[in-house]
Amino acid sequence: MRRRGRGRTDYARDLALVSSGQQWLALAVLALVLGLLPLLLAWTGNRSWLTFTNFTLITIIAVIGLNVTTGMAGLVSLGHSAFIMVGGYLAALLMLEAGWSFWAALPAATLMTGVVGLVVAAPAIRLKGFYVAIVTLAFFFIAQFILRSLDITGGIHGLIGIPSPVIGGLRIRTDQHWYYLLLVVGVLCVLASANLTRSRMGRAFLAIRENDVAAAGLGINVPLTRLRAFFVGSLFAGLAGGLWASYVSVIRLDQFTIWDSIWYLGMIVIGGGGKTAGAVVGVLFLRLIGQVLHVIGTSGWIPLSSNLAIYITHTVYGLAVILFVSFWPLGLMSVWQKIRVNYKRWPFGV
Amino acid sequence: MSESDPVLVGEDIHLSFDGVRALDGVNVSIQRGRIVSIIGPNGAGKTCLVNCITGYYRPQRGRILLEGRDIVSLGPHRVARLGVVRTFQDPTTYPNMTALDILTAGRYLKTGASLLHSMLYFGRSRREEIASRRLVEEVISFVHIEHLRRLPVAMMSYGDRKQVEIARALVMEPRLLILDEPMSGLDEAMKEVVSDLIMSVFKQGVTIVLVEHDMQAVMELSHSIIVLDFGQKVAEGTPAEIIRDPRVTEAYLGGIAGIVAETGESG
Amino acid sequence: MDTVTTLLQLVLSGVLVGSVYGLTAMGFVVAYRNARVFNIAYGQFAVLGAFLAWTFLGSPQSPRLPLAVAVVLTLLAVVAFGLAVERLLFRRMIGRPLFASFVLSLGLLAFLHGVIMIAWGPSTKVLAAAVPTGPLALGDVVVSREFVWSFAIALAATIGFALFFRFTRLGLAMRAAYDNEVAARCLGASASLNSQITWVLSAVIAAVGGILMATVSGVSIGLSELVMVVLAVVLIGGMDSLAGCVLGGLILAVGTNLTGYYLSPLLPGIAGIFSMLLILGVLVIRPTGLLGSRPIERV
Repeated sequence: MRRRGRGRTDYARDLALVSSGQQWLALAVLALVLGLLPLLLAWTGNRSWLTFTNFTLITIIAVIGLNVTTGMAGLVSLGHSAFIMVGGYLAALLMLEAGWSFWAALPAATLMTGVVGLVVAAPAIRLKGFYVAIVTLAFFFIAQFILRSLDITGGIHGLIGIPSPVIGGLRIRTDQHWYYLLLVVGVLCVLASANLTRSRMGRAFLAIRENDVAAAGLGINVPLTRLRAFFVGSLFAGLAGGLWASYVSVIRLDQFTIWDSIWYLGMIVIGGGGKTAGAVVGVLFLRLIGQVLHVIGTSGWIPLSSNLAIYITHTVYGLAVILFVSFWPLGLMSVWQKIRVNYKRWPFGV
Repeated sequence: MSESDPVLVGEDIHLSFDGVRALDGVNVSIQRGRIVSIIGPNGAGKTCLVNCITGYYRPQRGRILLEGRDIVSLGPHRVARLGVVRTFQDPTTYPNMTALDILTAGRYLKTGASLLHSMLYFGRSRREEIASRRLVEEVISFVHIEHLRRLPVAMMSYGDRKQVEIARALVMEPRLLILDEPMSGLDEAMKEVVSDLIMSVFKQGVTIVLVEHDMQAVMELSHSIIVLDFGQKVAEGTPAEIIRDPRVTEAYLGGIAGIVAETGESG
Repeated sequence: MDTVTTLLQLVLSGVLVGSVYGLTAMGFVVAYRNARVFNIAYGQFAVLGAFLAWTFLGSPQSPRLPLAVAVVLTLLAVVAFGLAVERLLFRRMIGRPLFASFVLSLGLLAFLHGVIMIAWGPSTKVLAAAVPTGPLALGDVVVSREFVWSFAIALAATIGFALFFRFTRLGLAMRAAYDNEVAARCLGASASLNSQITWVLSAVIAAVGGILMATVSGVSIGLSELVMVVLAVVLIGGMDSLAGCVLGGLILAVGTNLTGYYLSPLLPGIAGIFSMLLILGVLVIRPTGLLGSRPIERV
């Protein structure tokens, strides 16, 4: 007799992320694919795919953070790319100026960026939602201004020669090495975020997102909890920034634009705000579209100047966000849910 | 402490909005282990009083003493933490959450997993989650809403939502439970159910403040009744005393006596 | 030039430019008040208007259509754009939370940015003069003629809108709908008509603002930074106050001028982020803006 239902026999299993044999199997397959991905990509002969994957992993780490701030707690942040930038510069400065190792600089930069996030959000935290958005937008420009004006940050030229990490004598140099490092960090971040959703704090975030008057009645200190959500977001952004700085080994102001902040928000909306899986899916969706456009543009099938490709990317991204907000506001995850429900019910009822 | 000393005392509460006097020198005293009802016509100031007690509004003048401690300047989350829990008149506060989600969210004050604990999950957070779930299930049985566990609030009937809202308040283990019009919008059958539920809760030893329009329920359930009109306390006493009080019948057109005399009709 | 004249110069040019800022910001406020949308794509509306005007009017070197014809065509195009935006995008958003329509406007921002760049390219175009240009001397103070004309047009438009919202039936109906949508509908105001007029008005005002700015600084995608100016203006003046736009525009423009002249030598580039600092200052001191209405939280 085939087993139906979810097979959860106690509360612990009900809460677990992976609770059935089937799910463990799927997870094992995924782990295998991810583990062998560099080899699979090398097989295609095109080296840029692995670089693309690495950048995507960094983006995932950053967007998971934004998902906590915006997707779960409902605080719109337009300055996320600024926090990534700050994290990157801090890590670079700690390594270049203070001589710290990567493994000391990265956590320090991550934490410091989290604190910066607190400072930025504090003035607007008691006000209506979009004030936070505006403060973060203002922060983006002010941060760029400050970094441009200081000598120690290299002004508009930025910093170069940022060292890469060393693990047990082996320097992480190639894209392959970086892939595994980023994959491990990425998985840890995904886990932390998923844990948050099934824990007390994550629930508090959702409560304040939906209705902050009722949340106060539940005993939740709304401004403080908002700050916590913002802290987590900037924490992850700082982590992504530090990884970026070391991976690219060069950090410059023009690597971070306001458009990035907008894309990150779009990824969250398209993926499905709130759920960790949604954030990951949203990142993959937009990044892949962008990559496809890039490949079409550079392959010469259609004559496109590189600028035109960028504009077309903007247009397509914008259109994607518009379509999703209009028709599938709960994102790709909700579409996936509908498919699953219908599959279970088939052939009865749609 | 004896059984009849006050849990909550409101002294000379004055509340105004832009010149409109919502509460004009109101004095109340809620005895421990009693059901006290607050009644009055619409606009009398009942919900304003509740909002002052629970910290959503700050009165311009007056004190609110919770077991001797002045809580008038505390915000809603602090008041909740001290054990004063209120339900909302509109039970659709979280339309996309399931009953289970909402009840579990209600355990916020009784658990302590920090941000770090939450991200790690294994350890304190996991233990608390399992313990919370046990308690939530007890409340679910108590309120008889097992069938609503995984249903989003938006898909529930109004009566179901009201029950979930009361269950949510119970999950918070209140010292003082303030029910804001728990029967509004319900049909007779559902009113019976909620009435019984209030009685069961009372038998567990919870002090209850009931803000209601339904006179039959108020008469049946209350130990004492406070009547407000135009932001002032107009009368206070046992149900028997209140029926006979001419100031009360003045406040309500038609009089309470007349309303209660007709079976099943409420104000 | 002595201090008084310098000061007068800075203040006067600030007032002139500030009036254009104020007018442009009104379009944003109209959308926020009546459609309850925080339209971050507003800057693109302004740019689009300017580019459309350039398409019809041409540049001084190669003029195209006569002024009157160009004005009419531009107006028609902008109105059509406003109607399209309303019908295709924002009508669906009525009743949905502010966050949703904000993200929609983010998508629109990106979309319009891309389309405008594809259609017209990144280079700056010079707009053929719709108004007389050249310097104008008032005593010791020198201002640009086009700025004076912009000021005059902005002033006229501002007064026009004030009269519209205060005295015409349609204007009053729109204001009523902002305060209480259901009641307004009961009184006969049509919700969809309100929505259409709101967006057309917003687009037209944006276009006028964009064209006025383009007269001075040329038509380019850089004009979309006008949205930052607009944001600063509405935050200073109050997000739902038209009068606040005027006040905010003046404060911002005069303040930027003064900061640029007196503080730039010490902190190069400070004028560029002056608007940001002003925003932060306002948020800390008086978040609803100088003339905005204070919301009453009802539980």
